[in-house]
Amino acid sequence: MTEPVATLQEFFEQARQGQLTAVRCGRCGALAIPPKQFCPECSQRAWEPTSLSGRGTIASYTVIRVAPRGRADEVPYAIAAVRLEEGVSLLGRVVDIPFEKLAVGLPVRFRPLTYNGQTAVGFGPR
Amino acid sequence: MRRVAVIGVGVTKFGRHERTSAELFAEAAADALADAGLPASAVQALYYGNVVGGETEKQLHTGPQAASVLGIPTVPTTRFETACASSHAAFRHAVMEVGAGVSDVVLVGGAERVLNVTTEESTEYFAYASDARWEQTLGLTFPGVFALVARAHMSRYGTTEEQMAAVAVKNHKHGTLNPKAQFQKEITLEQVLGSARVADPLKLYDCCPFTDGGAAVVIAAEDVARKSRRPIWVLGSAAASDWMLLGDKRDLSRVPATERAAAAAYRQAGLGPHDVDVVELHDCFTIAEIVATEGLGLFEPGTGGVAAEKGWTSLGGKIPVNPSGGLKAKGHPIGATGAAQIAEIVTQLRADAGARQVDGARIGLTHTLGGNTATVLVSLFGRD
Repeated sequence: MTEPVATLQEFFEQARQGQLTAVRCGRCGALAIPPKQFCPECSQRAWEPTSLSGRGTIASYTVIRVAPRGRADEVPYAIAAVRLEEGVSLLGRVVDIPFEKLAVGLPVRFRPLTYNGQTAVGFGPR
Repeated sequence: MRRVAVIGVGVTKFGRHERTSAELFAEAAADALADAGLPASAVQALYYGNVVGGETEKQLHTGPQAASVLGIPTVPTTRFETACASSHAAFRHAVMEVGAGVSDVVLVGGAERVLNVTTEESTEYFAYASDARWEQTLGLTFPGVFALVARAHMSRYGTTEEQMAAVAVKNHKHGTLNPKAQFQKEITLEQVLGSARVADPLKLYDCCPFTDGGAAVVIAAEDVARKSRRPIWVLGSAAASDWMLLGDKRDLSRVPATERAAAAAYRQAGLGPHDVDVVELHDCFTIAEIVATEGLGLFEPGTGGVAAEKGWTSLGGKIPVNPSGGLKAKGHPIGATGAAQIAEIVTQLRADAGARQVDGARIGLTHTLGGNTATVLVSLFGRD
């Protein structure tokens, strides 16, 4: 039976403790977050877990003004695509940075957030 | 593969309806069969698009539901769900069934009902097309996805909010010429720029509306099509997918699935972007039209905004885009949209589009995008 590379539950448990974990391909060196079953670069399955620094810069961002049902009390809130310094990207909520300071290229740092009891990816100032 | 043609099209009025999605589809399908000059008994399969029926109508199994309401309960029927591209995905598969010789006449279409629920409910349901654990938890919305695309495009190419607004103004103007459109009123650049903020930098008038509606097309093999009144030939139909998570997409200013689907469709047809006379593409948000015109090869990357601003994509321009009014003004009943775009291109190629006719159009293209840019369909059509 094929053992899981890393489950979502494991990822978010580590994230909740402040640690972003990716996997690196033991064949070609490609980095993936979240893990995939096969390496999209070389199609092999030779992953090794690796820790990420959590430091990155904003690649794109938005401020959500109209929320899905049940989340109206959270608006407005910022979401950004963040390019981590290791070269992979993650989407996350941006907190503790005024909206007018948001910019492509702004340095940010990972921090875990919790919404409706679920750990989510967040970013705050460096 | 056998040659395949569209021989009949039907579209309901787009907007608010007090009818189920199955009823809306049945109206469009009856019109399409009448247009094809065929009885319902000629249909050998139904390929059906519907997205949020489970949420807004508490209705799954919408394929056989639609076939039953139409009165053809025994034909093989499958519902396709690729978010907003559902009925275009259904179309591609139906073309393969007819092309492969399995069936001679197939009905394709879709329908959606969303205006029976609140905006915050539909905002939640549309967000289901993004990843539940990684992205919905963040409160990411469908406008939020394209706001991220917009900001990346602005940052990389200098695209402006005014250029995006020009897309809305143009499509609303086209919509005034389409009696089936949800919105048939012109708007100004100032109205777009001054409208309520939804997901910065996108404002209300950068966004297509929520819409109820249905659309259907009848496709047929060449020997059947030759006996029909005005067949429009399917020259190519291709699909492409991309990473589901926005974080996995390397460059948010582009939609690689559009580029791959377009390349495959052009290759099938033996055509290129310069051969296309009229385009119906997926303008769920104004920035989506700009990025799509670039991905389809109509304009160089980064120049889609300029093209919109200069009127190159308006009726009478270099390459008219969304003469129907597009999703922005015609409306976007998500399960029906792909089929409705095909119906518009067929109408254009038959020179039947009246006030919104693109003069002398011989080759038409439809482009439909699913949700977070992870699905794209592109098809090419030509007249005899």
